[in-house]
Amino acid sequence: MLLFKPLARIIIVIVLALVMTQGCAFNRGTLGEDIKSESVAAIKKGTTTKDEVLSLLGAPDRLLQVNGRDVFQYYRYDAKVGSLLLIIINFSRVSIKSDDLFVILNREGIVEDVILSKRTDGLEFRFWPFGE
Amino acid sequence: MKLPLSGLCLILLSMVMCVSFVGCSVVRITLNTPLTQNDVAFIVPGQTTLADVITRLGTPDSITDSHTGVVATYRFLDMKYSRINFGWLLKFWSPADVDLIISRTGLGTDALELLCDSNWVVTHQSFLRHLSNARFNPYPF
Repeated sequence: MLLFKPLARIIIVIVLALVMTQGCAFNRGTLGEDIKSESVAAIKKGTTTKDEVLSLLGAPDRLLQVNGRDVFQYYRYDAKVGSLLLIIINFSRVSIKSDDLFVILNREGIVEDVILSKRTDGLEFRFWPFGE
Repeated sequence: MKLPLSGLCLILLSMVMCVSFVGCSVVRITLNTPLTQNDVAFIVPGQTTLADVITRLGTPDSITDSHTGVVATYRFLDMKYSRINFGWLLKFWSPADVDLIISRTGLGTDALELLCDSNWVVTHQSFLRHLSNARFNPYPF
C-alpha cells in the first residue's frame, strides 16, 4: 500500500501536466546579417583601408563622426521567444541581444581600431518570465 | 535606441500577445543583460580606457561625439506585461465570447553612459536612470 502512494502522486502530476499543457512555442526574429568573424579578422589595424572594409563587410548600418574620426557601425539583432501555453495561463519570455562591430578609421581612411562583441552567441530560449 | 529595434520589439510583442488569448498571460521582454553598479565598479575615471571597458562589458550600443570627447552608451530594457481575461471564465457557460480584460505593462529602461576624452580614457560614468523594478501586476487602476 505504501509503495502505491508515491506512484499515485507521480501519475496525478503527469495527468495534471498533460491536461494543463496545451503546448509550447518557439519563435525567433533576426535583424541584419550575421557579422562574419573571418571578415573581421581580415581587417588589420594600420593597414586596411576604408574601401577594403566596405568590400569585406558592405556598407555600414550607421556612419558616425566621433573624435575627428569616421566610425562604421555594423549591427545585428537576434530575438528568441519561448512560450509555454497552458489552459488558463501563458508564460512567454522574449530575449533580445545584439552583435555590434565598430570600425574606427583615421583621417587618412586607414583602420585605427576594430571593436567587436557577439552577445548573441549565448542567447537561449527561455520560458519562465520570473526571476533574472 | 535605434529605430529598427523598436519595430522589432513591437512585432515580437504583437506576436506574443496574439498567441496568448487565454485567461492569463505573463510576458517578459529583455534587451541585453542589465548592468549593475557592481559590474561597472572596475571603472576608475581618469585611468580606465574605453578598450578596458569593452574587454569586460562588450561593445557599447552606440558611440556619439561630444564637445569634450566621446560618449559610449550601453542600453538595456526589461519589460513586464501581465494580463487577465475574466471573460474567459464565462466561456463554458456563455454562448457569446465575452472579454473583460485588465492588463498592465511595466517598461524598465536604463543606460550606462561613459564620457571619454580624446584619448579614449573614461572621465565620467553614470547610469541614465535605474530600472523601475516593474512587477507583474495586471491591475491597471
